[in-house]
Amino acid sequence: MTPARGVAIGDELPQLVIERVDAEKMKTMAALLRDPNPIHLDPTVVVALGMGTAVVNQGPNNMAYVVNMLAAWAGGPDRIAKLRVRFLANVFSGDRLVAGGTVTGIDGERVMCDVWLARDGTEPVLAGTAVTRPFFVSTAAPGAGLDTKNETT
Amino acid sequence: MAIVALEALEALVGRPFPGGTYTVEPYQNWLTNDVVLAPQRDDDLAHPMYCYYAALAGMGISLDELFALAHASADDGVMFGEAEIELVGPMRVGVTYSVRGSFTSVVRKEGKKAGVFDILAFALELVDPAGDVVGVSTNSFVFPRRDG
Repeated sequence: MTPARGVAIGDELPQLVIERVDAEKMKTMAALLRDPNPIHLDPTVVVALGMGTAVVNQGPNNMAYVVNMLAAWAGGPDRIAKLRVRFLANVFSGDRLVAGGTVTGIDGERVMCDVWLARDGTEPVLAGTAVTRPFFVSTAAPGAGLDTKNETT
Repeated sequence: MAIVALEALEALVGRPFPGGTYTVEPYQNWLTNDVVLAPQRDDDLAHPMYCYYAALAGMGISLDELFALAHASADDGVMFGEAEIELVGPMRVGVTYSVRGSFTSVVRKEGKKAGVFDILAFALELVDPAGDVVGVSTNSFVFPRRDG
């Protein structure tokens, strides 16, 4: 295994903050996904089910926040190779979320990470692992990496 | 929802989905980026979550129908268990992907608070027009079961 340039095991990924989860965006996603679950739309259903008082964010939305955090760090959405998550708790409209992660391994151009999403940065709602191909990581000779691709144009 | 015979669920394992196709339309990618607070882009890269969205939209049955196969409905408190997206390459706006896959496992568990619940997993592949698998979406749903 060749050490990757620019990344070290134990590095903390830059955190991404979602200041307020928006109920209106859940409605848009429900329409996009044809998701029939009323807990994303109707707070009276959430109350009736004893799940709280605010509508529940779609799980994939929570996963997407982690994707965004990874993409921002790695250099784009095309730098994400794998993301596996467990959903630990519901996220509700109005919640403030923080997404983050830690580098756990490096294998050539692939960087493995533990990732998480937490309410107020403290209460875990999602946890998982990711594999990325950060643009700034290359085992090629200096100057031959992806970050120099525009120099020949 | 009442407890379902485990054999009925185990019969689903290996069962293929009807499958279908999915095209990430530009307006859908824009709306998705808006919903999940991702930056809008001026290239053709789709949000990576389209590995999940396209897979489920193109698997050939609705979520309601999937839940029904597990003898449940959206009103029964079905929850997401785990989700995985694996991308060989980026998904692109405007490209039509074929979707294929099957149910992969079912596990019954029992918790002190949750009672009996079943975890049904399935995997879906996204195939580009050249025939190459560009993404795999693996997911599980949790179905709470109650006596009655």
